[in-house]
Amino acid sequence: MTGYILKRLVSAIPVLFGISIIVFVIMAMIPGDPATAILGSYATPDNVEKLNRDLGLDKPMVQRYFIWLGNMLQGDFGRSFSLNRAVLDEVLDRFGATLVLAGTAFVLCSLLGVAAGVVSAARQYGLADKAITFAVLLGISIPSFFLGMMMILIFAVKLRWFPVSGMWPIYGARDLSALISHLTLPALALAVVATGVIARLSRSAMLEVLRQDFIRTARAKGVHERSVVWRHALRAAMVSIIPVLGVQAGFVLSGAVYIEMVFQWPGVGRMLVDAILKRDILLVQGGVVFVAACYVMFNIAVDVAQSLLDPRIKT
Amino acid sequence: MKNFLMLLARNRLALGGLVVMGLVVLLALVTPLLPLADPDVTDTANRFKRPFSEGALLGTDHLGRDLLSRLLWGTRLSLAVGFAAAIIAATLGAAIGIIAGYYGGRTDNIIMRGVDMLMAFPYILLALAIVAALGPGLMNALIAVAAVNIPFFARNIRGITVGIAHKEFVDAARLSGMTDARIILTEVLPNVIPVIVIAMSTTIGWMILETAGLSFLGLGSQPPQADLGSMLGEARSALITNPHTSIVPGAMILIIVMAINLLGDGVRDALDPRLKSGALSRPMPATMVQRAGPVPTSEGDTLLALRGLKTQFHVEDRVYKAVGGVDLQVNPGECLGVIGESGSGKSVTALSIMGLVASPPGVITGGAVHYKGEDLIGAPYEKLRSLRGDRIAYIFQDPLATLHPLYTVGDQLIEAVRAHHLFDRKKARAHAIELLTSVRIPNAEQRVDSYPHEMSGGMRQRVGIAMALANDPEVIIADEPTTALDVTVQAQILSLLDDLRRERGLAIIFITHDFGVVAQLCDRVAVMYAGRIVEEGPTKTILDAPAHPYTARLMACVPELGQGRRELAAIPGLPPVVDRLPEGCAFADRCHKAGDTCRQGNIELVRHGAESLVRCVAPETPPQEAC
Ligand code: SF4
Repeated sequence: MTGYILKRLVSAIPVLFGISIIVFVIMAMIPGDPATAILGSYATPDNVEKLNRDLGLDKPMVQRYFIWLGNMLQGDFGRSFSLNRAVLDEVLDRFGATLVLAGTAFVLCSLLGVAAGVVSAARQYGLADKAITFAVLLGISIPSFFLGMMMILIFAVKLRWFPVSGMWPIYGARDLSALISHLTLPALALAVVATGVIARLSRSAMLEVLRQDFIRTARAKGVHERSVVWRHALRAAMVSIIPVLGVQAGFVLSGAVYIEMVFQWPGVGRMLVDAILKRDILLVQGGVVFVAACYVMFNIAVDVAQSLLDPRIKT
Repeated sequence: MKNFLMLLARNRLALGGLVVMGLVVLLALVTPLLPLADPDVTDTANRFKRPFSEGALLGTDHLGRDLLSRLLWGTRLSLAVGFAAAIIAATLGAAIGIIAGYYGGRTDNIIMRGVDMLMAFPYILLALAIVAALGPGLMNALIAVAAVNIPFFARNIRGITVGIAHKEFVDAARLSGMTDARIILTEVLPNVIPVIVIAMSTTIGWMILETAGLSFLGLGSQPPQADLGSMLGEARSALITNPHTSIVPGAMILIIVMAINLLGDGVRDALDPRLKSGALSRPMPATMVQRAGPVPTSEGDTLLALRGLKTQFHVEDRVYKAVGGVDLQVNPGECLGVIGESGSGKSVTALSIMGLVASPPGVITGGAVHYKGEDLIGAPYEKLRSLRGDRIAYIFQDPLATLHPLYTVGDQLIEAVRAHHLFDRKKARAHAIELLTSVRIPNAEQRVDSYPHEMSGGMRQRVGIAMALANDPEVIIADEPTTALDVTVQAQILSLLDDLRRERGLAIIFITHDFGVVAQLCDRVAVMYAGRIVEEGPTKTILDAPAHPYTARLMACVPELGQGRRELAAIPGLPPVVDRLPEGCAFADRCHKAGDTCRQGNIELVRHGAESLVRCVAPETPPQEAC
C-alpha cells in the first residue's frame, strides 16, 4: 500500500509541473510590460526595478519560469502589493476558511447524494424515485449563488435561524457552535449542485449493479433486501461512485468562489476575485497554483481510497 | 432521425424543456422589436418599484431602470454569450480531439497529456486565471469559459475519432491517396458531428451558468451593459430590502438552465438504446406474480413440486413465454435432471421456484410451486426470503460473476449463515471454514480470507456449493454449475455433489444441457423444449430408448461420454422464438416425422410406458418397449 501511495505521488510530479506551466503561460499573456502590470498603481520606478530583479522579468521566458518555480519551491510565492503581505501567508490563511466550507459541503454532498441515489435506484419508478429525480433536476439547474441569496433571504432574514453572512460573529466567542451556525447555509448552498450530480450518477451506478448476477446470489442466499441494496449493491457501486466524488470535489471547490462572495466567507475564492479586481497578479498566480496543487493531492487520496475499496486493483 | 425525434417527443419533460427554451430564445430574438423601456436609462426617482406597479411590470432596480426590459436584454446577452462559448469550445475542442485521435501516436500522447493537465484544475481556477490575465470584461469571460470547456470536448471527440480512424472506409480512403485533411473533413467529421452536438446540448446550460457566474462576480459584463449574472450581482446589495431585483434575474437563469437540462436529458435518453429495451430497470426482490386462472392445489406430500408453472417476459408490448406450464417434482435424496438447449426455459424454470427471475421483465403468470404442500409463488416476500438459502438453496453457473467481487469468500459464507441463524461472527467464521473443508477446499483456514478473483474456477464453484450448503438445505437447485469448468474439475464437482446428496439426503434439481452429467448424477430426467417438458422419465429409460424425437436427436448428437464436446448441437434449425410459438408441437419445424396432426391443437404430455411421460403424437418407441 505504501508503495502504491508513493507511486501515485511520483506520478503527480509531472502534473504539478504542467499546472505551473499552464498558470505561467496564462499569466504571460498579460499585455504590456509585466512589471508594470503586476504592480499596477504601485508601479513606481523603484518598485519596477526591484521586481524586475526579483522575478527576472527582464530575462527570457524560460528563464523567468524557472526563477518563479524555484522561488515557489522555496516557499516564496511573491508579495501581494494590494495587501502588502507575503502571498503564501495570505493564501494559507484564506485556504483554511475555504477548506472548512468546501470540506463540509463535500461531506454533505457525498453522503446525501449517495443516499439519495441508492434510495432512488432501490425504488426505481416509485414515488421516492420520482421525488428525488425532480429534486435533483432542480438542484443541478439552480445557480448556487442565486440559491445562496434565496437561502439568506428565507433562513437568515425572514426566519432568523442563521446569521446572514461571515464565518464568525463580530462580537462573541469564536467557538464551534458559532462556526456551525455560520457555516450551515453556505455549506448547504454549496453542496446542492454536487449532491444532485452525485445522486444522479449513484442512481445509475446502482441500477447497473442491481442487475448483476452476484445480487441474485445474495437474494438466493436469503439476505434481506435492505442488506442486498446497502451492503452488496452499494459496495460494488462505490467503485464507480468514488471517481465521481473526486470530480465533484473540484466542482465544490469551484462553487466555493461564488458562495464565498454571497456569504462574505473569508476564503481563498473571495481573495482571488478581490485580487483580480485589484489587478494583484502575484496573489492570483500564487493562489491558483496553490489550490490546484492541493486538488491534485486530493485526487491522489481519492485513488488510494479506491484501491482500498477494490481488492482487484493491483497496489 | 425520425425515430429519434419521436422518442424525444414521447418524453414529456424533454418536450416541456424544448417549448420553454424555444419561448426564451424567441423572446430574446424579438427583444429589440418589443415596446420596452430603454434598459439603461436611469430614473432614481422611481427606484425599487415593486413588480406589477404601473409602467414597470417587473418593477425597477436600484437605479430606477425597468427590470422587464433589463431582464429581456440581459437574457439575450446571456444566451448569446453562452451559445458563443459553447460553439467556440466545441469547435476548438473537436479540432483538437480529431487531430489527436486521427494521428494517434506521439501527437495524441502530447495533446492528451496537455488536456489531462488542464482537467487537473478545478475549472473555475483556470477561468479566474484567464480573466486575471486578460482583465475583467464580458468578452474575456466568454474566452475563459470557452477555454476551460475545451478539454472536455477534446477528450470526448478524441475517443470517438480513435474508433473511426481505424474503420475500413478510412483505410480505403487513405489507400486511394486522399490527403489527411480531406479524409478528416469528408470521412471523419460527418461521423463525429452528432457526438459534438450531443456534447454541446449537455454542456450549454453549464456555459450559460458559468458566464453568468463570472458576471455575478463582477468579472464578466461591465456596467451599464448587463447580462443575467451581473444583474444578479448588482442586486445583491439590495437583497434584503428589495429581493425582487434579485429574484427576477435569478429565476430566469434557473428557468433557462432547467429547460436546457431537461432537453439534454431527453436527448441523451433518446439516444441510449439501453433505456428503450428496459435493460436499465432494476430487478425487484422477488419475481412479480400475476396469476390468471385457478391456482393448482397441493396433492400428496412431495418435498418440492412445480405444478403448471408459467413464467413470461414482458418487454414493451411483446410477451415471451419462457416457461409454458411445467410440472416437476423432487423428493429427498433424489436428483432430477432438467435438460435442454439454451433458451428452452430450463434456467427460468429453476429461478422461478424462489422468485429469482429478474422482474421486470419477468412475470410468473400461472401455476404453483409447492414446498411441503405450501405454495411459494403467492408467498409474501418475507416467507420467501426465510426459505431462500435456508431450505432451498441455489448453485449458479459462473461463480466469478455470481460471487460478490469485493467481499472475501469467508464474509460471503458467514453472511449466508447469518441471514438465517443468530451466529456470532466467530462461530460463523468457524462454520465457514468447516463448510470450505466439506467441499474439499485445501487450506480452508487461509482460503476463507481470499477474494473470489484470487481463486481458480473450480475452487470458486466449490465456494458456491459451500454457500448453498451453509444452512443444510433440503433442496439444492443447481443451474448449470459445471458448464464453465474443464472436464476434470467438472467430474470432481459432480462426484462431490453426488456424495453430498447421499450423505445428507439432499434433493437436487440439476439444470444442464449435458447428457453426460445427467447420466452420472440424475435418477430422473426431464427434457425441455420451448418452455415445456417434452419427455420425462427415469434416466436409464430415456438414455437407452428416448421416446420423443427431440430427445432422440439430441442424444444422436452426443458423442461417447467423456470424450470431447458433450454438448447439444447440430440439430438442424433453431428452437422457435418463444414470443411466437406455433400451434401444435413446437418441435414440428425441425422434426423429421412431423405430420399434419402435429401442427394442430395442444399436444398433451401423456404417460408412456411405466414411468415415463412424453409429448408427441408419434413417439420413437412403442409404449410397451419403453419400460
Ligand atoms: S408431435 Fe410430431 S412434430 Fe412433434 S415431435 Fe412428435 S412427431 Fe415430431
